Amino acid sequence: MAGIFDYTPAIALLPLASFLIALFLGPRMPKKGALAGILATAGSLILSVATLVTLAGPAEPYHQQLYTFVTGAGDAVSLSFGILIDPLSALMLVIVSLIAFLVHVFSLGYMNDEGEIGLPRYYAGLGLFTFSMLSFVFADNLLMAFMFFELVGLCSFLLIGFWFREEGPPSGAKKAFLVTRFGDYFFLIGVVAIFATFGTTAFAGDHSFIHMAEQAVLGDGGSEITTFFGLGPQAWFTVLGLLVLGGVLGKSAQFPLHTWLPDAMEGPTPVSALIHAATMVAAGVYLVARMYGFYALSPTALAVIALIGGFTALFAATMGVVKQELKQVLAYSTISQYGYMMLALGGGGYVAAVFHLTTHAVFKALLFLGAGSVIIAMHHNENMWDMGGLKDRMRVTYLTFLSGSLALAGIVPFAGFWSKDEVLFETLIHGLGEAGGTSQPLLLLGFAMGLLAVFFTGFYTFRMVFLTFHGDPRTDTARDPEPVRWNVKFPLAVLGVGAAVVGFVNMGLLKDVLGDSILYLHTWLDGGVEGMNAHHYADVLHEAAGYSAASLSPFVSGAVSLGLAVLGVLVAWRLYGGADPDPHMERLGSARTLLMNNYYQDEFQVWLAQGVTVPIANAANTFDQVVVDGVVNGVSTVSLFAGQRVRRIQSGVVTNYAMLLTIAFVILLAFFALIGGWF
Amino acid sequence: MAVLPEYYLLLSAAVFCIGLFGILTRRNALFFLMSVELMLNAGNINLVAFSLYYSNLTGQVFALFTMALAAAEVAIGIGIILVLYRNFGDIDVTEAVTMRW
Repeated sequence: MAGIFDYTPAIALLPLASFLIALFLGPRMPKKGALAGILATAGSLILSVATLVTLAGPAEPYHQQLYTFVTGAGDAVSLSFGILIDPLSALMLVIVSLIAFLVHVFSLGYMNDEGEIGLPRYYAGLGLFTFSMLSFVFADNLLMAFMFFELVGLCSFLLIGFWFREEGPPSGAKKAFLVTRFGDYFFLIGVVAIFATFGTTAFAGDHSFIHMAEQAVLGDGGSEITTFFGLGPQAWFTVLGLLVLGGVLGKSAQFPLHTWLPDAMEGPTPVSALIHAATMVAAGVYLVARMYGFYALSPTALAVIALIGGFTALFAATMGVVKQELKQVLAYSTISQYGYMMLALGGGGYVAAVFHLTTHAVFKALLFLGAGSVIIAMHHNENMWDMGGLKDRMRVTYLTFLSGSLALAGIVPFAGFWSKDEVLFETLIHGLGEAGGTSQPLLLLGFAMGLLAVFFTGFYTFRMVFLTFHGDPRTDTARDPEPVRWNVKFPLAVLGVGAAVVGFVNMGLLKDVLGDSILYLHTWLDGGVEGMNAHHYADVLHEAAGYSAASLSPFVSGAVSLGLAVLGVLVAWRLYGGADPDPHMERLGSARTLLMNNYYQDEFQVWLAQGVTVPIANAANTFDQVVVDGVVNGVSTVSLFAGQRVRRIQSGVVTNYAMLLTIAFVILLAFFALIGGWF
Repeated sequence: MAVLPEYYLLLSAAVFCIGLFGILTRRNALFFLMSVELMLNAGNINLVAFSLYYSNLTGQVFALFTMALAAAEVAIGIGIILVLYRNFGDIDVTEAVTMRW
């Protein structure tokens, strides 16, 4: 079965083919290109699963250079495309292709059955989006990753702005593109700096920048690298890590670059599912996981990641509490959940982060598709206060949505519980662990915020569930919702089962009882390329960043987080569980206004642009117009004026010229005579 | 060999100044040509004088070349004067002032 790896490029190329087919042949095809997309992503899914299975067998991780597009002289820098299939990327390939496949199927119901126009463009966008993300996942070097990272951003722009004739979507698309581009700018600098430092951006192998960085900090090597600004290797690696982190913050919608994500809800709901669960937003966290060996070298970068993650988790969760639109609540929950992943990465929980990425992909795709189903039923009204009582009228949607909500809230035994618990547990034990004689207050702070966010997550999730599905219908549409077809129910059913069971791949809570052998995901990520597995990362974390794990029973933190989640659910049930719930959030008064306005983050950013950047740009413009251009114009004015005066001596009379010559000659003579001392 | 070099130089300077005076004061182009010849030959006198003084024939050979050049220059000069006459109906150099700002 070694041959399967030869087909891995096809995993990404199939969606690319569907992109081309939908783009050029879509209008003439039945379903406007949807079938090509479904077939292509199904093919990708089969190939990904085959790759995963092969890798689970005796096969070695696969690393292949495909195409070198620039080669420097000698052994200087060369830029290439390559494929790296290791446990992490194989797992991610399966997730992405699975979600993409289900989203394509769902789009049949959401877009085709609703009679949308411009469908070839839609399916072309989906194909390109899937292609970019899959290529990003198996990229074997940072430059290739950056290229597809950008392509992912572009596709999100195209898809969010799909309904470009309305007012909201183009604005949301523009915002998503600009905000993520702002982060990517730092990422680009980081890529260039990594090139300058290591001469390579490869992820794997003895000559990868991760390995070289590790040698420089821990081992004896380090002669091959160049640091700048007089910083030592570790300090310089922190700078590099934080630069790359800029791109991660933008893509994964972490504070302060999270503002694009709620606005991205203007796009079609299947696209939101794809963006939030598998592509785009996942890309940021995946990138950190991909080069985790590099981040593990820098305790500062890790602390920053953990703090941002924990803060974002709490910050976004509080905003989700007051939102009235179904998709807005989900948007803030996405930001919050990615905050957890960042918290786990910063807290030394590599496996926990990947675990949460996996479970989140499943249950968030499920929730978005469920929301899409509700939106179809409600004739594209997203306000939860217009819903209510849908549970009896939309049985499949309700049950699957409930499964996803339980997973999101972190209620045992649904997927989110296991992964979120592991995130918090890993952060806690590393926070309590001795690092240079003290525990790590920053990690503990991140942990505290993450723990508090658990309560809010449980609350807003079930506020959403109760308002949407329970109680009495509050509008006529809710009383008689439009039925949905199999193409909506099938993806929901697959993901609904997934959200319930996918958590069992890594039941960290029970490892003391059942033994380490039940940590399938942990074992899985321990394998793979030497120096790029979970086991190795733990060693590096311990040696370079000084992380150590305190011994603590996982039951304590598990019980606390479960208790908080259940508390949140109970509060939601108490407030909104009735037949005709009141808008309790309005009692919050000015706090609600603050939350509804997203802490005025958007206004703040607009102010940054209009109040700070524009005046600076104006000042620079004035400087350019007045000083720089003034000097240039002044020189020309002086020359013109002088020329006009001096040309008077050009009289045209030969005698005058001869006179000038003679006088000049005499003056020269007198001058040299004076210098030479004749007189 | 009784004549001292100073006298040659004085003679040459005097001839040069006469030529220069002619150029600065005359309006007739033909006088110009003649004055230029005077100035050239003032230079020739110097060449020959120093050649004699240093007992080196190079200067005299140079003087011969200069005369040949002067002949060529006069040929061109006369050509220019003819054109001048054709265009302005006169050879007064102060009349031909169209080539100016």
